[in-house]
Amino acid sequence: MTGREEFVLRTVEERGVRFIRLWFVDVLGLLKSVSIPVSELESALEEGVGLDGSSLEGAARQREHDVIAHPDPRTFQVLPWKPDSLVARMFCDVRQPDDGPFGGDSRAALRRVLEQAAALGYTMQVGCEVEFFIFGPLGSNGDVPTTLDDGAYFDLTPLDVGSDFRRRTIEYLEQMGIPVKASHHEVAPSQHEIQLAHTDGLSMADSISTFRIAVKEAAHELGAYATFMPKPLAAYPGSGMHLHISLFEGDRNAFHAAQAEQPLSPTGRAFLAGVLAHATELTAVTNQWINSYRRLATGFEAPEHVSWTRRGAAALVRVPSRRPNRAERTRFELRSPDPACNPYMVLSLVLAAGLRGIERGYELQAESIDDEPDGAARLPLDLREATDLFDASELARETLGDRLCDVFVANKRRELDDERRTVTEFDRARYLRLL
Amino acid sequence: MSDAWIYGTDGGEETSRLLAELGFSPHRVAANGTLRPPEGESRAPALALVLANGLEQPSCAELCARLAADDELGEVPVIVALGSEGLLEGIGVAEGHELLVEPFTAEELQARIARARRAVNGIDHDDIVRVGSLEMNLATYQVAIGGRPVDFTYMEYELLKFLVTHPKRVFSREALLNRVWGYDYYGGARTVDVHVRRVRAKLGSEHAARIKTVRSVGYRWEGT
Repeated sequence: MTGREEFVLRTVEERGVRFIRLWFVDVLGLLKSVSIPVSELESALEEGVGLDGSSLEGAARQREHDVIAHPDPRTFQVLPWKPDSLVARMFCDVRQPDDGPFGGDSRAALRRVLEQAAALGYTMQVGCEVEFFIFGPLGSNGDVPTTLDDGAYFDLTPLDVGSDFRRRTIEYLEQMGIPVKASHHEVAPSQHEIQLAHTDGLSMADSISTFRIAVKEAAHELGAYATFMPKPLAAYPGSGMHLHISLFEGDRNAFHAAQAEQPLSPTGRAFLAGVLAHATELTAVTNQWINSYRRLATGFEAPEHVSWTRRGAAALVRVPSRRPNRAERTRFELRSPDPACNPYMVLSLVLAAGLRGIERGYELQAESIDDEPDGAARLPLDLREATDLFDASELARETLGDRLCDVFVANKRRELDDERRTVTEFDRARYLRLL
Repeated sequence: MSDAWIYGTDGGEETSRLLAELGFSPHRVAANGTLRPPEGESRAPALALVLANGLEQPSCAELCARLAADDELGEVPVIVALGSEGLLEGIGVAEGHELLVEPFTAEELQARIARARRAVNGIDHDDIVRVGSLEMNLATYQVAIGGRPVDFTYMEYELLKFLVTHPKRVFSREALLNRVWGYDYYGGARTVDVHVRRVRAKLGSEHAARIKTVRSVGYRWEGT
């Protein structure tokens, strides 16, 4: 037994943990959990736990097939929101029964790309700003949710339920090892933003998954409901999840330029050029829901074109100005993703696109000034266009593997078909009287 | 289980047995110039025991000096065991952190180990490190502040344990990566900063400041 496993077993015993939740994510990044009693823990650590692999396939689930979830003891953590009956979690690597890789696990895909980067001497660091809404208890499906801080939902605390909520969430996150850099109320009523301090790619993807459930738990305890839906209210900005990306070679930030006039080093420029060159193929994963495109369509700082800038708020990528004595902070900010994405897929593809830019020496396009797109390519207008581009993307297939790509595309086509058959508020408002 | 490395020319089986009974995992190191056991143990042990009898090349003094100068083994508590003839000649008496005279009992060995670890690493006889209201139990992997448990992940725990048991010395990120993570990490040297931040967040205001950032060098634990 390794030290890590002994640590887990001993902590469970000493702390009186009753159940262990084994976490994994499906192709859409939705967190799945298998709960095991403490008596099964040792065998779960040794041999893993059998699962139906189709549970990772989202809505496009087909026939059952066996896979094994192997808990990663490095991710063992007692959950802070179950103080009465202690529960802990571990993220799992999902593998085939013969211990071969399972192509349907997006967490494994990210690990693979991180290993490829490590073989080239690079490690990716990611910081992240997550926006989301908390609403009053939800009515039936389709109702417009009640916002909490415009006085509409007054039986919660009279002052600012939001700050109470943020304090509790931040406590949970810090107890889970997810340090928060800052938090504030966002533009829209009931909308919040929490900034997560930078960490390596796998930890960040795990942190985002954990973050979403911690936020939902904290909201639930206050009788509210948190959502990461990209655009819940038509009249207000949607929720984005800006990613701050940098690449390190050992201790050195490979994006930091030696010359003062350059915002990024040659490596950084080539990496960014790779991300921009593949940005339209990546959109299906950075913005994976039909609703995601309603956020992008309405501006409010959401990008519509493939462009980068040092100033302005409308570009796909913002590069903060170079700070001579702060080399470690040199980075770029990718502004298209929304918080309902699968962070494992997004980080896999962003890193793979950037590495390709470095390997093939891509040239960075000119900076866009004053939010003018300068003939820059536009991002896909909707999920159908994005899915078609993703489906045809050789980079996506090479990075994620055919299985993950096919299952993802099948999910998206099903979602599009469902929508195609739906009569919406829009239809009635527009056509009922007119036609 | 903590490793204990035994340096000597021959013998040592009895000492190995006693160490194993005390809960250590003993590894023999042939004192022929190497400092590490042949199995390629990557991590520094909790304890080094030098059997000074018969040591010539290197001498006990040379061996102890090289241990103290080694990057990774520099703060390992060293116990020197001497025969009574060695004691008369004064060889090795001044070396290491604790002295044992052969033959010794298991009880004496245990007491000498406890004294050496206490002096070097601040670890009490019950395997607990106490710093103000912070208690770190190395036997059970549990950390408490003011009696209230704090839940760390394994790597956070290992980092805190390393810092707490090596007080007042600055470690570079590179050194911490090698000694705490071994080769089992993804994040590169920035991982250290990330984990320090997490550990500080969990320690809370009273203890977070004990992990000092030494600008452009690394980190240091201030126990007092």
